[in-house]
Amino acid sequence: MAFNGLKKAVTLTPCVRTLPSGVPAAPLLNLAVRAPADPHAHGHGASGPRSTPTPRWAGGVSRTSSGLASKSYITLTSTTPSTARLLHTSVAVKDAPQVPDFSHYRANDNDSNRAFSYFMVGTLGLISASAAKSTVAEFLKTMSASADVLALAKVEIDLATIPEGKNVIVKWRGKPVFIRHRTQEEIDEARETKWQSLRDPESDEQRVKKPEWLIMLGVCTHLGCVPIGESGDFGGWFCPCHGSHYDISGRARKGPAPLNLEIPAYEFNDAEGKVIIG
Amino acid sequence: MSFSTTLYNTFFRRNSMFVGTIFAGAFAFGIGFDVGVTSFFDRWNRGKQWQDIRHKYVEAAEEE
Repeated sequence: MAFNGLKKAVTLTPCVRTLPSGVPAAPLLNLAVRAPADPHAHGHGASGPRSTPTPRWAGGVSRTSSGLASKSYITLTSTTPSTARLLHTSVAVKDAPQVPDFSHYRANDNDSNRAFSYFMVGTLGLISASAAKSTVAEFLKTMSASADVLALAKVEIDLATIPEGKNVIVKWRGKPVFIRHRTQEEIDEARETKWQSLRDPESDEQRVKKPEWLIMLGVCTHLGCVPIGESGDFGGWFCPCHGSHYDISGRARKGPAPLNLEIPAYEFNDAEGKVIIG
Repeated sequence: MSFSTTLYNTFFRRNSMFVGTIFAGAFAFGIGFDVGVTSFFDRWNRGKQWQDIRHKYVEAAEEE
């Protein structure tokens, strides 16, 4: 504050020092330098010594009454201590003399503020996880079979046309499917068998949805022949290729077959009396 | 102890609890979102879908 009284506007020259002789100090100025050779100069000054005359205050030969005199000025260092003057002379003003009051902007309760921050982070994570899961699920859904393909891969059979005790063979996805309308005696026989000791132990209840309808793939589990119905030692199917015997529930009982005849996915349509395989 | 402190100590303090809550919440949110959007769609298109007009055709076919 005390400097304000001494503040005074000063116009400074580009050179900030003046020699004692009055010549502005330009320490690295070489007056004898040659201009660089320039082939495109168009004759504006040849390469060589400068054509502009050296100013008189810089020294040189001069004519006096007693003859020619040559003066050369020497750059002397200043006898007074030269201090670097800055380009402004005003007093520096502090930008922020005191820290502002931020208490108006501060949260009243740090705990609720922290819980709210974590809640927002968690909510964003929840939505992101849900979107990621949905993206992956929808992408995988494009790989599954479409509805028309699935509809074509099904076979519908009217069960009313199959009399009791008869076999029907239908083609489903290129393979034969046996449908057997079993009589009550056959059901009893299939259920009373000691299935726990069989090669592929399966009860008759596991293999059929309705006891009178036995539906299974007509492919021998040994090497893939088609067994013959109503033959064999157990009243079921007999494979002529290698002599495997299946009982009335389609279970392997004798011969090389390792497994029971396979059960395809099927469901009954009770309203229309049909079975849909596939 | 205030509600926010209880919330922080229960769900946010452990990362396992935090991430587990997020995944469980995402599961529930997905189901709820599906149900909500489906019910809105059905309400918006009431009377236009097969499930709404099925009785007109199926019963008539059985009567004939």
